[in-house]
Amino acid sequence: MPTDPGRPSVPAATSTHCPYCALQCAQTLTRTDAGVAVAPRDFPTNRGGMCQKGWTSPTLLDVPDRITSPLLRRGGELVEVGWDEALDVVADRLRTIRAESGPDAVAVFGGGGLTNEKAYQLGKFARIALGTANIDYNGRFCMSSAAAAANRSLGMDRGLPFPLEDLRGAQAVLLLGSNLAETMPPSLGHLADVRAGGGLVVVDPRRSPTAALAADGGGLHLQPVPGTDLAVLLGLAHLVLRDRRTDTGYLADRTTGLDAVRDCVGAWWPERVEQVSGVPVRTLERAAALLADASPIAGGRGAYVLTGRGVEQSSQGTDTVTAAINLALLLGLVGRRGSGFGALTGQGNGQGGREHGQKADQLPGYRMVDDPAARAHVAAVWGVDPDDLPGKGLPAVQLLRSLGTPGGPRALLVHGSNLRISAPDADSVTRRLRSLDLLVVCDFVPSETTRLADVVLPVTQWAEEEGTMTSLEGRVLRRRRAVDPPPGVRSELEVLRGLALRLDAPGTWSTEPAEVFAELARASAGGKADYSGISHRRLDTGEALFWPCPATADDQPAHPGTPRLFLDRFPTADGRARLLPVEHRGPAERPGPGRPLHLVTGRVLQHYQSGAQTRRVPELAAASPEAFVELHPVTADRLGLVEGAWVRLRNDRGEVRARARLSTDVRTDTVFVPFHFPGAGRINRITNDAVDPVSQMPEFKNCSVDVVAEPAEPLAATGPAAGRRTR
Amino acid sequence: MTRVVVVGNGMVGSRFADELTDGDGGRFAVTVLGAESAQPYNRVLLSQVVAGRYELAGITLSRPRSERVAVHAGAVVTAVDRDDRSVRTADGARHRYDFLVLATGAAARVPDLAGLSPWPGGVHALRTVDDAREIVAATLNARRAVVLGAGVLGVETAVALSRRGLAVTVVHPSAALMDRQLDQPAGGVLARALTGLGVGHRVGARASRVETVDGRVRGLRLDDGELLPADLLVLCTGTVPETGLARACGLPVRRGVVVDEQLQSPADRRVMALGDCAEPPEGATGLVAQGWEQAARLAARLRATGTGPGALPRRRDRTADDVVRVKADGLDVVTMGTRGDDSARVLQLSDPDRGRHVQVVVEGDRLVGATCLGDPEVAAELLACYTRGAPVPADPARLLLSPLAATSSAAVPVTALPDDTVVCRCNGVTKHTIAEACRSGAGTAEEVAARTRASTGCGGCRADVCALVEALGPAGASTSPSADGSCEDLVTQASPPAPAAVTSAG
Repeated sequence: MPTDPGRPSVPAATSTHCPYCALQCAQTLTRTDAGVAVAPRDFPTNRGGMCQKGWTSPTLLDVPDRITSPLLRRGGELVEVGWDEALDVVADRLRTIRAESGPDAVAVFGGGGLTNEKAYQLGKFARIALGTANIDYNGRFCMSSAAAAANRSLGMDRGLPFPLEDLRGAQAVLLLGSNLAETMPPSLGHLADVRAGGGLVVVDPRRSPTAALAADGGGLHLQPVPGTDLAVLLGLAHLVLRDRRTDTGYLADRTTGLDAVRDCVGAWWPERVEQVSGVPVRTLERAAALLADASPIAGGRGAYVLTGRGVEQSSQGTDTVTAAINLALLLGLVGRRGSGFGALTGQGNGQGGREHGQKADQLPGYRMVDDPAARAHVAAVWGVDPDDLPGKGLPAVQLLRSLGTPGGPRALLVHGSNLRISAPDADSVTRRLRSLDLLVVCDFVPSETTRLADVVLPVTQWAEEEGTMTSLEGRVLRRRRAVDPPPGVRSELEVLRGLALRLDAPGTWSTEPAEVFAELARASAGGKADYSGISHRRLDTGEALFWPCPATADDQPAHPGTPRLFLDRFPTADGRARLLPVEHRGPAERPGPGRPLHLVTGRVLQHYQSGAQTRRVPELAAASPEAFVELHPVTADRLGLVEGAWVRLRNDRGEVRARARLSTDVRTDTVFVPFHFPGAGRINRITNDAVDPVSQMPEFKNCSVDVVAEPAEPLAATGPAAGRRTR
Repeated sequence: MTRVVVVGNGMVGSRFADELTDGDGGRFAVTVLGAESAQPYNRVLLSQVVAGRYELAGITLSRPRSERVAVHAGAVVTAVDRDDRSVRTADGARHRYDFLVLATGAAARVPDLAGLSPWPGGVHALRTVDDAREIVAATLNARRAVVLGAGVLGVETAVALSRRGLAVTVVHPSAALMDRQLDQPAGGVLARALTGLGVGHRVGARASRVETVDGRVRGLRLDDGELLPADLLVLCTGTVPETGLARACGLPVRRGVVVDEQLQSPADRRVMALGDCAEPPEGATGLVAQGWEQAARLAARLRATGTGPGALPRRRDRTADDVVRVKADGLDVVTMGTRGDDSARVLQLSDPDRGRHVQVVVEGDRLVGATCLGDPEVAAELLACYTRGAPVPADPARLLLSPLAATSSAAVPVTALPDDTVVCRCNGVTKHTIAEACRSGAGTAEEVAARTRASTGCGGCRADVCALVEALGPAGASTSPSADGSCEDLVTQASPPAPAAVTSAG
């Protein structure tokens, strides 16, 4: 492998973490004569396990279409240019657009896969180099509902406020809208004991592999009508109150708001929930009893309530997570060793990505951008006047809708995101991207989004860079460089420095991740996500550090980090968690004439997010090559479909084409399509961009469609089949 | 601000006040006048209070959230003056309105039965929280109860009292139990189920007199002369809409307060009626779902127009407000929609020996009615299909059985599964691949993992890998699962890192 002459050679074996999901499985990358070999490492989260994506991750280092030179659109074509030219062009156009239309005419879209250092630097770049309020990121599509709910109920959002290993001692786990068996397989090991004891309860409109684990293990699978998880949760809370299974001492000492929640869930008696959700009363009662029996107040070994995207990517996602927290509070689970509530973060750095200032409303340290004290603190670290910091920008869906519209942003910088696959109502997003005066995309492969770009900047990927990631449990991990990047590729820290200097930005723009982390740590000091006691050096000693981890005085021992939150108090004004009444409204779009079926979307094991990486790994692509429509045989029979038939899914937003896969795992009123794929099977073309009123999270997981069989012969065919069509 | 007076603080009146002031831009000031307590409660659950499932204090509902809703408890409305657009309460207060919403509900119907005057001790209706409290108190000393009327409430109450340890008989004058919802075969299945729960029944039997001693009930005499001894008699003989106010102020009243599709009185467009007191064109169901749907619809219309009779928004769920679900331990009885007419297709599964009876009514590709006894999974599916108007299967007979009965492969040993079965999902390793590894020399689970990656993800398939090694391993190799010490703790421990690796080609 060619090496960059200015770089020190990296050691042969490097301890790092997988490039994909938030489990961040520990792995060792070893350079050999044949290339880079990967092996899993023993680590508390993955316990020496790794799924097919991790095992094949080194393939990413040699994808044949790796971008190794900046690309500039000339005469409709993207052509290779030098870095200086590319950065000059970008800086010039940004300056012009800003001069003509103001700083908010330039927008930034970040990603939950960026390292903490890059996410931090990107937020700073937007605020003080571009001066724009308009920065948001794809975490808005993933964690924003869970974050909003945890913040308003518990005073703080850390996906899992406890180490993942704690699940192993539990008696019961309620898993809502999460298919861990495919999304982060090695994590299942932590649920093996609870499953073996019949304590796993999964709520999912599909009998996913995870739901099957519950049902086959003597646990429970609740299979509600899509979009009714909130009603199920209200019903479970109703039953816990009805059967006097609440932890009254805990509720009195550690919470407020019981009466309002009691009265609110009073309207959700189990027979009503059954009618709304399709979950039988007896199943609801069994689930409630199973959780209650496991609770500390009942002398159980502990219970957890965990949510995933299935319930969060909804126009009532924040309220659904709130209802899940309410249930956990009623049972006295939160802030207790061996029990708890958590949201399972999805993206690799979905946790850290939401803490360091790439959200439209936040500054580093999980500070709010409209809080004067927060602005003063961060401005001081950045060396700018607090009054020069922009305010709250547009959240992702609104930001994307406004691109290229009158008064909306004219330029967009995209980092770590493939919007054309992953955004809802993706055809509209594509049109908005096309309408921009300038689209700059940083990526390392030619994703679907880079193909619309005016400038593409090739950047480093996981095994080629140093930095930190914060896993789903709030543990800060070191990502390490195992190989040199290909010549011509730069890190995003270098890109941001290059642009900041060209734009005469204030502040410092280090390209050394350890230095950027040190600045991030100072900026986060005193914030909710306080990293000020963490450094690359400390992490490199092997310490397990969970934030918050504040700095201590020189003569004091270092802060050990906080594996478990809320044990003594909640970070709210009165130290108590808030029970908040919420109502089930149902999804924004319901089945009706012309679109009678629910469409739910999700992942398959072999692919990650938009598939820009995993679709380039031949082993994964071979195992899962294309989109499919999973539907029940009874539904297929009604539609005249057989296994493997081509079908079209339609609604007002467009049409998607994929092959039928028949399965009794899905409800008869529902079809499932994975969202990783481009082209005719790109399901986010027809998903709904209706958003949650609190979090602005789009309703990816539920819309309504018509499903029709495609004519069996190609349209050009002649003969009897064509004759039948023209009849 | 537009002044709205709501008479009635029950489930429907309270819900209407809350919906009207949610998102109305501060335009409405609502006065709710309730004869009972300030806190609305869930009347639907009263039979469950009798059953001991709920405490009396446990069935409260939310009050309206807006401070623009003033709730007056214990406010008995005595008169409506439509010319003055005001109502008067017993304490002499006068409340002006721009719109008046009657949500006065219904009272228990007392049958015309000898022996009820003077009212004997031990006889109760079940309509209010006070009724429930008195019945619960009565069960402490009573040993035998009779429930008169076997509609939904009667059946629920009979089972509830039985749960309290009383010997219960339910008496119903019609030929079938719950005859408003069930035909005779379905009623027969219900009767058998009640017998199974120890609840006696007299179907097609008329009560002739309440027998009393010293002013307390001693039994119920039937018109065939039989005496059912009882020290508690609960009357579940229907309801009567509370229409007195409407009648007194000259509004048209039939069984209920007559309203049009807009829920307005045809005689006065400033007066509306909701819930059990109302008589809309389609008729009242007596179910709270109908009242809540009306409350949401009327609130949305008033918010949208502020005044006058705009068009009411369409009902959101076609026919979801006529679902009846019996709440009683050990009974699964659900009905919805119509029982069918000549144009409908009616399919039925009758399995009385197992207490199962399922009937579906289909028009075109829509489910328009269903009756389901004894199969809660099917009932839940039918509810979802009916409530959402989902298309029915090509052969509607499939509705009679649960479509979601996914088969479990857990019971089948891995050695008996087909070769293309994926054994290790995390790494997509088939049984065939593992077998090949075994045949080519892998003699332990570790060796299989090293060659195939099977069991290197979550570790959940380790038992299966061990079983395959044992069954297929090379002759002479150590194939005991415990030989390597790692197959004992099969599920909780992922395999140690295997040396296998994917390498990049570069």
